[in-house]
Amino acid sequence: MAIGESQMGDESGPSEEVEAKFGWRYTLKKVMDDATARWGLYIVAVVIVISAYTMVDSNLSRITFGMVSDFTFAEALPIFDHPERIPPPGEGESHVPPAFHADGSMAHPLGTDADGRDYFTRIVYGAQVSVSVGIVSTLIGFVGGTIVGAVAGFYGGKIDDVLMRAVETVYAIPPLILIIVFTVFVSGGSPDITYAILGVGITFIPVFARIIRSEVLSIREMDYIEAARASGVKNRNIILRHVIPNSFAPVLVYATLQIGVTILIVAGLSFLGYGAQPPTPDWGEMLNVSHGYMHANVWLSVWPGLAILVTIMGFNLFGDGLQDALDPRLKN
Amino acid sequence: MSSEPLLRVENLKTQFFTDAGTVRAVDGISFEVHEGEIVGLVGESGAGKSVASMSLLRLVENPGEIVAGEITYKGETIFGLEEGSDGDLREREDMLSNEAVRDRIRGNEIAVIFQDPMESLNPVFTVGGQLREFIELNRDLSGAEAKEEAIEMLREVGIPDPEERYEEYPHQFSGGMRQRVLIAMALACEPNLIIADEPTTALDVTVEGQIIDLVDDLQEKYNTSFIWVTHDMGVVAEICDRVNVMYLGEIIEQAPVDELFHDTKHPYTQALLNSMPRPDRTVEELEPIEGVMPEAISPPSGCRFHPRCPDAREVCQRVHPEPKEVARADGHPHNAACVKHDVFDVGYDESPPFEEEPQLTAGTPGGEDGE
Amino acid sequence: MGLLRYTLYRLVQAVPVLIGITIITFLLANSAPGDPVRLMLQGQEVDEELIQTIEQRYGLDQPLHERYLTYMSGLVQGDFGHSIHYNEPVSDLMWSRLGPTLLLVLSAYAFAVVTAIPLGILAATKRNEPTDHVSRIVALLGVSTPSFWIGIMLILLFAVQLGWFPSTGLVYPWWGPEGYDWIDTWPELLYQTALHLLLPMIALGTLQMATLMRVERTQMIESLQGEYVKLARAYGVPERTILRKHAFQNAQLPIITIIGLNLSTALGGAVLIEYVFNINGMGRLFIEAIQTLDYQLIMGITIVIGTMFVIGVIITDISYAYIDPRVTYGEEE
Repeated sequence: MAIGESQMGDESGPSEEVEAKFGWRYTLKKVMDDATARWGLYIVAVVIVISAYTMVDSNLSRITFGMVSDFTFAEALPIFDHPERIPPPGEGESHVPPAFHADGSMAHPLGTDADGRDYFTRIVYGAQVSVSVGIVSTLIGFVGGTIVGAVAGFYGGKIDDVLMRAVETVYAIPPLILIIVFTVFVSGGSPDITYAILGVGITFIPVFARIIRSEVLSIREMDYIEAARASGVKNRNIILRHVIPNSFAPVLVYATLQIGVTILIVAGLSFLGYGAQPPTPDWGEMLNVSHGYMHANVWLSVWPGLAILVTIMGFNLFGDGLQDALDPRLKN
Repeated sequence: MSSEPLLRVENLKTQFFTDAGTVRAVDGISFEVHEGEIVGLVGESGAGKSVASMSLLRLVENPGEIVAGEITYKGETIFGLEEGSDGDLREREDMLSNEAVRDRIRGNEIAVIFQDPMESLNPVFTVGGQLREFIELNRDLSGAEAKEEAIEMLREVGIPDPEERYEEYPHQFSGGMRQRVLIAMALACEPNLIIADEPTTALDVTVEGQIIDLVDDLQEKYNTSFIWVTHDMGVVAEICDRVNVMYLGEIIEQAPVDELFHDTKHPYTQALLNSMPRPDRTVEELEPIEGVMPEAISPPSGCRFHPRCPDAREVCQRVHPEPKEVARADGHPHNAACVKHDVFDVGYDESPPFEEEPQLTAGTPGGEDGE
Repeated sequence: MGLLRYTLYRLVQAVPVLIGITIITFLLANSAPGDPVRLMLQGQEVDEELIQTIEQRYGLDQPLHERYLTYMSGLVQGDFGHSIHYNEPVSDLMWSRLGPTLLLVLSAYAFAVVTAIPLGILAATKRNEPTDHVSRIVALLGVSTPSFWIGIMLILLFAVQLGWFPSTGLVYPWWGPEGYDWIDTWPELLYQTALHLLLPMIALGTLQMATLMRVERTQMIESLQGEYVKLARAYGVPERTILRKHAFQNAQLPIITIIGLNLSTALGGAVLIEYVFNINGMGRLFIEAIQTLDYQLIMGITIVIGTMFVIGVIITDISYAYIDPRVTYGEEE
């Protein structure tokens, strides 16, 4: 109606500063303005930083944490032991409850697991696997899906038909099942995290392919593509330099949300034993182990699940916020 | 023709309270509609015409609100405020309740026709079903009787094989057909007043012509009054009896249609007429109006059109004109809100010409900072 | 194009996809270095002759494409091969485990739909009020939490701590009271079914519910802003009717499609939930098959589950076509 039509231009500043709607600073500002999205970004940032840091050098992080603990607590806490190291018999205590419990202590804020390893350290280190797998496999899916989707959408016809049929077929098998079959067989019976990453990535190619394809289809009809073609630009360059950059925004949002999905699936995978293998700390794998001790130690099952929850929620909040920022229509 | 108007609007103000500020979409308009006449409400996009017409039915949604004015229909108060003992404005006693407006006014007495016939019809229900529902609701007929009425009305608006088409879905109709359905909907409820909000804008020209002819015929037959909202002066010339020209939330000229075209009294109306091709004149070039209509959040000071007006003088920036009678024709007043007419007496002739460049983008330079 | 024709059209379209599923599954199952039988017997001391006999028996000495054709010819007759580990025909095994999985998945869906739709509508009507914010947070949590962890937490709280519900297994109504020596009557049977079903149903259905709730909310908001709703209001239709009739029906269309597509996640989730709750369904069978590398069983389950998804999508598509007149009656001008 009339009002919507007259509300043009940037409300938050003088008319000259009408930035392109997809300008990064503008988008980021809008994300930061939205409280929930901002928190999502914080959570994601924290998780990524923790993962990166713990990956860089476990000795380094151990020393740093140690320094921090020396500063804040009376004594060096044993929690900064290596997360995979099983304390020799007599040294560690298994199934210690968390600090707020009567039998717990700040030496092990979240208690210890069945082998006496500090749970807090394991949870912190567990971020590594989830985040790296999440990001890498989403990337694989994204790149693969972009190629498939862009080619299918742009060339159309038989190529499109065949590719989309293949995509549909892969899509028909539930991801978890497909990934497990892939991981178990391709690895020759000894699945581990590398095959998992590959499997997850390949399984999500169809998802990205579809989105990219529909973006490409709508862009293909745009005038500037016609203009490029008319000027004799090669198809390949049209795809690379015009089509893909313009379909970027919605796909970016989707990729962010997809990382959440990936982490969820990998958690399930590890829970069944086909993701990260022990002794590598991974939240899903920790839940697998804790399932066996369900009656003996309730707490073992609580923390990894919470960690997964918070991480995925962070990605989802951020992804939602990104979506709202890039397409405000949907919000209002 | 009775002297008492069917609908009287006095000083209507509708505002939208948004994060960016208060949008004064309708800022004090007054007009009347008599029985059997077609009154035009003309203006560019954003002038406030649609908001005005929706206000008449009290259909303004959050964050919008009617904040002042009086709307009287057949003697009943659709909207009216009074000052309470504490100085705050509150709704008048005699103002109709929400239920009363909904049950008695909407559809029964005043009906609407919207702009986009594709979006206005619900795609999952049959056309006949939607027609029947509204007829049943507004005319106190049984389902079967309403269905008969609906089919008759479809026939009346020129849809062939109405019994079959009654069972069909909106997407099976062409754009022009759908608009006829909407017209049928409005007429079938037997209202005294129909508000047509840009009903032909979404249609192509030949179809538009057919619809206008149809409305003309039906109007003669049923003697329904119309408020015809549009931005197209050509349509106005064809169908309206009297016209109200809106600019930025205000009515700046009111006159019978011939008067408006041949003895234009406001520079904006004149500019509108000059910017479109007219079959009765040959010109070298069309003259578009310079600049863009600013936003209704912070309108220009004084006369709102002055930044774009070729006849603007200094005084125009300071004085805010209300529409005053500057002539009479056909027994109706010809009102214009422009200080260059003597009746305003603000020293227009002595004032030097206004010297600022009209802004070329939305947003107002040197305008009032919101209020 | 008429509902029947549309159904046939979709079924025909599905055939290449189904074939594709068999191809992918077959290729994956045979992708390990060496053949599947060797893989299965990995690490075990079996002499070469025995292996070769088995290989011959399962036709593993033939080239890949021939094996595929043999497999397919058996498949179309309903023969999914033989489970080496269980020593039973694969089809028998799958058939016996189908019931529990269907019970679980369908009840999870029912739970999701019954809770999500009213909540979504509520959130849409009370938009930006506290109710809306709360429901959005709940939905977000539902989407971000692993289903198997919800299951574990539910068990720990309601089964172990409070003892209100059993922690494992399902009771199948189709066995009748006769099938259980600790159940005598039908009402008792149904009660026990519900009792055993509740926790796994919630665990599996939460993700669905959260997703549907968000979509329902968005759809209702959009529908309520539609021109046809404004028109109905302008004609004096009471707000309740607008919500129930004018806005609601239109909003449901995309939801139907999403329900169908979510079947994929639901089936995958069923594997996890059956594992957590020790339910004897297809999901659990799949895990057992993977653990023993029983390749014919694995292939069979994968293909069947993939087919279930395809058929599920076709069903939802047909429902969509049934409800949306634009699909069946096509575009006219």
